[in-house]
Amino acid sequence: MTLDSLSGYAFALTALLWLAAMVGDVFGAKRVARGAISLGTLVAIFAVLEGLIGKPPTFESLTFGDWPWRFHPDAAGLWLLLPALLPAFFATATGRTQHPRGWVAGVALSLLGALGILGVQDGASLLIAWEALSLGGAIMLLAERQTEPSGNDNLFMLALLEVGSMALLLAVILLGKQLEFSSYAAQWQGLGTGLGFGVAVLWLIGFGAKLGLLPFYEWYPNAYGQGSGATGAIMSGAILNMAYFALGRALLDWLGTPPWLGSFGIVVLLLGAFTAIFAILYAFQQNDWRRLLAFSSAENAAVAVTALGAALIFRAGGQAELAGLAWLVGLLHLMGHSLAKGSLFFAADAVARATGSYHIRQSGLLRRAPFTLGIGVVFAGMSLAALPPTAGFVSEWYLFQSLFHDFTLHGDGPRIALALAGAGMALTAAIALATMVKVLGVGLLGKADARSGDAAQPALSLGARIALLVTGLAVPALAISLVFWLPQLNYAVWQTFEPPAGAASLMVHGWLLVPLSAHFAFISPLKLMIVMPLLALIPLALIWLRPRIKVRRAPIWCGGEPVQSHSGATTALAFSNAMRVFYRFVYRPTNAINRRFDADSKPYFLKTLEFDYAQAPFFGPWLFQPAVRLVQALTRRILFLQNGLMNAYLAYIGILLLLIFTFALFWTPK
Amino acid sequence: MPHPESSIERPIELLFETQTLRPDELLEAAQSLLDDLGDTPSAHGRMQCAYALRDAEGQLWVRYIISQGANQPWGIWSVDASSGTLPSLANVLPLLGWYEREIQDLYGITFTDHPEPYPLVLHEGFIPAKPPLQKGFDAKAEPIRGQAEPFAEANMVGSDIQRLPFGPIRADVVESAQFVFHYIGEGILHYHPRLFYKHRAMEARFEGVPISAACVLAERVSGVDSVAHVLAFSQAMEAALGWQAPLRAQAWRVVLAELERLYNHLQFFGHLAKTTTLKVAEAEGIWLEEQVKQINGRLTGSRFLRGMIVPGGLRRDLDATALIADLNALQPQIEDYLDTLANTRSYLDRLLTTGVLPRQVAFDQGATGPIERASDLDRDLRRDHGYALYPELQFAVPTATEGDADARARVRDQEIRQSLHLIRQALNKLEPGPICRKEQTIDPPMDGVMEGMGLGWAEAVRGGLIYAVHWNAKTERLTRVKIKEPSFSNWRVFPFTVNDSNMMDYAINEASFGLSVAGADR
Amino acid sequence: MPLWTWFGLKKGRATTGWPESAGSDGQEGVLGLPKLNADQCSEGAQGCTKCVTSCPSGAITLNVAENVTEDQEQHIDLDYARCVGCQLCTETCPSGAFSPSNDWAFAVRDRADLSRLARPATPDKKLEEKWQKSLAGFGRSLHIRHVDAGSCNGCESEISALLNPFYNLHRLGIFFTPSPRFADLLLVTGPVTEVMREPLLRTFEAMPEPRWVMALGTCATGGGTNGGGYACHQGLDGILPVDIWLPGCPPNPAAIIEALLVLLDRRPQQVHGGRHDA
Repeated sequence: MTLDSLSGYAFALTALLWLAAMVGDVFGAKRVARGAISLGTLVAIFAVLEGLIGKPPTFESLTFGDWPWRFHPDAAGLWLLLPALLPAFFATATGRTQHPRGWVAGVALSLLGALGILGVQDGASLLIAWEALSLGGAIMLLAERQTEPSGNDNLFMLALLEVGSMALLLAVILLGKQLEFSSYAAQWQGLGTGLGFGVAVLWLIGFGAKLGLLPFYEWYPNAYGQGSGATGAIMSGAILNMAYFALGRALLDWLGTPPWLGSFGIVVLLLGAFTAIFAILYAFQQNDWRRLLAFSSAENAAVAVTALGAALIFRAGGQAELAGLAWLVGLLHLMGHSLAKGSLFFAADAVARATGSYHIRQSGLLRRAPFTLGIGVVFAGMSLAALPPTAGFVSEWYLFQSLFHDFTLHGDGPRIALALAGAGMALTAAIALATMVKVLGVGLLGKADARSGDAAQPALSLGARIALLVTGLAVPALAISLVFWLPQLNYAVWQTFEPPAGAASLMVHGWLLVPLSAHFAFISPLKLMIVMPLLALIPLALIWLRPRIKVRRAPIWCGGEPVQSHSGATTALAFSNAMRVFYRFVYRPTNAINRRFDADSKPYFLKTLEFDYAQAPFFGPWLFQPAVRLVQALTRRILFLQNGLMNAYLAYIGILLLLIFTFALFWTPK
Repeated sequence: MPHPESSIERPIELLFETQTLRPDELLEAAQSLLDDLGDTPSAHGRMQCAYALRDAEGQLWVRYIISQGANQPWGIWSVDASSGTLPSLANVLPLLGWYEREIQDLYGITFTDHPEPYPLVLHEGFIPAKPPLQKGFDAKAEPIRGQAEPFAEANMVGSDIQRLPFGPIRADVVESAQFVFHYIGEGILHYHPRLFYKHRAMEARFEGVPISAACVLAERVSGVDSVAHVLAFSQAMEAALGWQAPLRAQAWRVVLAELERLYNHLQFFGHLAKTTTLKVAEAEGIWLEEQVKQINGRLTGSRFLRGMIVPGGLRRDLDATALIADLNALQPQIEDYLDTLANTRSYLDRLLTTGVLPRQVAFDQGATGPIERASDLDRDLRRDHGYALYPELQFAVPTATEGDADARARVRDQEIRQSLHLIRQALNKLEPGPICRKEQTIDPPMDGVMEGMGLGWAEAVRGGLIYAVHWNAKTERLTRVKIKEPSFSNWRVFPFTVNDSNMMDYAINEASFGLSVAGADR
Repeated sequence: MPLWTWFGLKKGRATTGWPESAGSDGQEGVLGLPKLNADQCSEGAQGCTKCVTSCPSGAITLNVAENVTEDQEQHIDLDYARCVGCQLCTETCPSGAFSPSNDWAFAVRDRADLSRLARPATPDKKLEEKWQKSLAGFGRSLHIRHVDAGSCNGCESEISALLNPFYNLHRLGIFFTPSPRFADLLLVTGPVTEVMREPLLRTFEAMPEPRWVMALGTCATGGGTNGGGYACHQGLDGILPVDIWLPGCPPNPAAIIEALLVLLDRRPQQVHGGRHDA
C-alpha cells in the first residue's frame, strides 16, 4: 500500500469497519454493528471518490507463502460501485427498529465480498469473495425471514448461485496454473478455440447466475420476496453492479480478440435480450412490490448484458470506439439503475410500514405521505421506464444508438443480431414502462380505505424521507450532470482495447450527449432541465390569469348511488390481466376459483367465493424441477453415508487424510 | 271458517285442485312433488309460485301454485301461516327462494332455514318496523322513507377482486336496476342483479278495486306486456265469476296477444343487433317494431293494444280488413329481415356459446318462456294449458337445445313466424257474433260463497304469466291479486349464465334474455 | 355474408317529414286523452258520480270550485296530469260529457294548464326572459338524460322508439346522452318510487346549468294509476322543478317530439286552461 494513496487507507478502514460490524452483529451488539456498517459505507464512498479523482490504490503488503496478494480496484469497478453505495448507506443507516439480528452480519459479509470482487487480483480470492457475496445475501434473507417457506427459497437461490460458483471454479481451473488476473489474457489465448469458448461460456454462467441471466433469474422473486426493501436495495445495487463488473472484466479485459469473439458476442447479446424480455414480462404480472422490483432488476441487468454483447460484437468487427461506447452504456445503465432501484425499494418499505404489507394495492398513499416519497418514486420510476430527463432514459437512448450503429459492421450475422436485439430492447422498454406505471399507479394512487392502515399521515421516519429524497433526486442529477463528468469514464474502458479508446470523451459534445458524433444523434438532459421549467411558465400563466367563473361543485356521479370508490379500484391483476391472457403461452396462467354454496340446498345460493391466481415460471417445470428431482434421487442413493455411526465418520476422515497425504507427497506441480 | 277457494262448477274441466296442508307437512310435500313429477327437466309439471294473503277474518295464508302437467288441473296448496313461521322450501325447490323472500318482506312471515334470508323487494334502509301489507294497502299513504344501506352479498375472498355496482341509473334509455359485478379485469367472477328499485306495489294496488279499474291496472303492471296481463287477469276473473267470452272475442284475443308478441320480438332483434353493433339491422328491427305498433294503433286506437280486453270479451268490436292488408305488406319484410340476420356471420359469432343456460339450472330456477325453450325445456302455456282460441289453432312450439344466446334468438325467430301464422288462422276463424258477454252485471254467487277465487294465465312474450285473483262477491271488489310474472322468474335465472363469463359478452347475453325489470319488480 | 349497408340503402328513406315538413306523424287512429265538455254534464248537479268512481287514477273531480254556483261549468274538472287515457269515463258518462279524441299533444309548461279549474301561475316577465335567454343555443342541439323512476316500461318503449328510422330524433338536433354531466334536459318517467328518489336527485345535481326537467307520462306528471302507496310518490311535483309536463299513458313518440319542441320554443303549446286547442 503506497503511502500517498488516501483511498487505499480508506478502503482498509472500510474493510475493518465492515468486519467489525459483522462480528458485532453476531455477538448481538446491535448499535455497534449498525454504526460500523453505515460508517463503513460512508468511508467506502469517500474511498471510491478518492480512487477516482486520484489514482486507484494498490495494496500489496500481504503475502501468503511466496504468493503475493494484491488489491487493486479497477476504474470501471469504482464507477459502478459509487452510486450503488448511496442506497447501501441509506439501507443500513435508516430503519432503526426494522432489522433483526443477523441482518447486519449478512450485509457486512456481502459488502465485503463486493469489495473483494472490486479489487482482488487473483482467481482464488475472486472465488472466496464470490462465495462471501452469495452467503451474505442468503444470511440477509434468512435473518429477515418473513414467512416459513423462506428456507426453501433461500436454498434454491443458493443452489443456483452455487451452480454459478462451480462454473467460476471450473473456469479458473481451466485457465491455467497462474491464478493472477494479469496472466489470464495470455493463458486464455493459449487455450485454443474449443476450450477458450468454453471458458467464456463458463464465465458467463458463473457471473450470470448472480446477474439473473436466463434461466437463473428464477431465484429472484422468491428470494427478494422474503426480505425487506433494504435488502433489495443492497442486492440490486452493490451486489448486482459488482457481478456485472466482474463479467465485463472477464469478457473485455481478459478475453482479447480471438476469431470466435463475434459469435460469442452474438450469444451474449441474444441471451441478454431474451432475459430482459422474459424478466420484464414476469415483472409485469407481479402483485408484490419486492417481487416486481426483483424481476425488474433482472431485466436491467440483462439490458446491461446486452450492451456488453454489443461491445463484444463491435470489438470483433474492429470498431474499438463503438465497443467502448457499448461498454460504457452498460456501465451507465447499471449506475442509474442502482440509484433508481434503491429508491423504489425504500418506497416499498414505506408502503409496507404504512399499509402492513408489500402488496401492490391502491391505498391513496401518495397523497397522504410526505412529498419526499413522491419525488423519490417518480424520478426512480421514470428512470426505470426510460423517460427523460433521467439516467435510465440516457442509458436506454445510448443503448439504442449503439445498436443502430450495426451498419458499421460487415457480415449479416452481427447486423441481424443487433437488429433483433434492438427489437427486443424496444419490447422490453415498452413493458418496462407499463410495469412502472403499474407499480406506481396501482401501488401509490387511489383512495384510502379501511384496509389502508392509518388514514392520516403514515409514519415515515426522517431517515426514510431523506433516503427517498436523496436517492430519487440523484437519478436526474446523474443524467443532468453527465455532460460534465462523462469524459472521466475514459479510464473505465479497458486499456486492452485497440487503439486505446477515448470513447467517453467522444460521448460528450458541449452540453449534448452524443453517440461518438453529434451528426448521428444527440440529447441533452441538461438543456432539457433548463428549458422545461421555462416552457412550463406558459401553462402556469394561463392558469393564473384565467377569468374567475363561479363554480358549483357536485359530488361524483356514479349511476345514482353514492360513490364507493375503493372496491372498484384498479387492482394489480386487473391492470395486467390483458397481457396475462395475451402472453399465456409464456405465463401459462392459472385461476383458482373456489365457490362454496349453502350446505343444505342445491348449489344455487353462493356463500363464499375464493379467488387466487398464479403464473407458472418458464424454466421451472422443465429445467429446475427435474434437476431438483435428480439431486433428490441421488441423495437418496447416497443417504446411507449419513448413518450416524461414529465408526463410519472416523473411517471417512481416515480415507480423506490418506488422500490428502498421497496428493501432497506424490504430486508435484510442474 | 271456510278458507278461500272456489267450488264453482264449470262446464269445462276443473281448473284447479286445492289442498290444505299444515306447515310441518310442507317439506315432505315438496319432496314428494319432486319425486312424483320428477326433477328431471323433461317433466311438464313444476312448482310455479307462492304468495301470501289475508282472508276476510284477517288470518294469514300462504298458497303455492303448481303446474301438474300438460292439460292437467293446476294444484294449489293452502297453508295456514297464522303462526308467522313456515319452513322454507328453497332448499328443495330453489325457485321458491325469491317468492319466500317477497312474502317475508311484505307480510312478515318468517321462513326458517332459508338459504338467503335477506330482504328482496324492500331495500335495506327502507324497511318499516311493521311489514307494509300486514294491515292492507293504502293508496293514499305516504311512501316509506329511508336511506340506502349496504346490502347482503356473497363473501368474496381475494385481494385482487374488483367490485362494480353498475346503476341503478345506467347509460342509455333503459330501466332502473343495479348490477353488481365482482370481476377481475375482463372476467366476471360473480354477478348479482339488484332489482326492485321499481317496486310499485302493483299487486297490492288491486285490493278493493272494481273490475273495470282492475283491467286498467293490469295493463300497467308491465307496459309492453299489457295484453298478456289483462288477458290473464280477465281469464282469472272469468274463472272466478263463471263467465265465458264469446268465440269472436276469443279469436280477437289471440290476434291481440300475438300482435304483442310480434312487436316485442322485433324489438328484441333490434336490441340484439345493437349489442352486436349491427347498425342497419338494429335500425331495421326497431323500424319493423314501429310498423307493428302503428298497425296496433290503427286497429285498436292504442299502440300497446290497451283498453280492449275485459272479463267477458272485448270492450268493442274490431275490423280486420285493414289489419290483413297491413300484415300482407309487412310479413315479407319481417321474413327477409330475419333471414338476413340469421346469415350474418359476425352477429352469429357473438351469439354462439354465449351465456349458456344449462337445462337443469333452467328447470330448478323456474326459467320460463323462450329462455327455457332454448334450453331444451318444452313448455308453452298456449299448448299445455290452452286458453282463448289456442286449442283450435295449429301451431308449433319452437325449441332449441344449446341454451346459448343464439338458441334464444332462434327460438324467438321461429316464434315470430308462428305468431304471423296464428294471427292469420285466428282471423280466418272470425265469424260475426257478439264481442262481449251480453250481461255486464255480475251473477250472485251460486252457493252463497261470498269469496271467489280464480286462476287465469297466458303465455306472455317472456314466458308463462299467471294471475290468481280473490274476489269478494258482496262488495264486488277484488281482495287479493297475485301476479306470477315471467320476468321475476327469468331474472332469477340470468345470473347463472353470467358467472364465469366475460364483460364483453355481458351486454349481448343480457339482450339475448330480453327481460323486463318492471315486470319483475311490479 | 349479407351486405347490410346495401340492405339499408335499398330500403330508401324511412323517416317521416313531420313535424318540420309534410309527413305522417305515425299516429293514425291512435286515441289521445278524452275531451271534457263540462256544459254537457247535466247529471253532475243531481249527484251522479259515475265518472269519478269509474276513473282508476282519480283524475276527475266534482264540485271543486269554492263557491258552487248553479253555473254547471264550474263543478266538474278532469285533471289531465292524472289521466291515463283508459276512456272508461267516455263509456260510463250518461250524458256524454266525456268523448274520446285523438288529442295526444298535451305538453304544457305550467302544470296548472292541464286542469280547467287550477289557477295558473301569473306569468312573470322577467322569469320568461331569463328562460328564453337560457334556451338560446339549445334550439337545435339538446342532450337528454333519461331516468326511469319506476315506470311500467311503456314510456321507455315509446322513448326508445324516437330513435327508430321513422321518427329519427337526431334530425331535430336532439340526442340522448349516457351521463348527466353532458345533459341539458332530464327526462323522468315513473311516479318516483322512494328508492329511486335519491338517485334521481343525484342525477339532477350532477347536471350543469342551464338544465331543464321534463315529466313524461302520467305517472310522472301526477302519479296516475301507479303512484301512491308505501312505495311510490305521486309524480315529480314537489320533487324536482319541472319545465315541461307531458301526460299520456304512455305518450306516443309524436307527442314526445312535440313536447321537446315546445320546450325549445320551436312549436306552440296546444293546451291551455285544461282544454286542447283545435
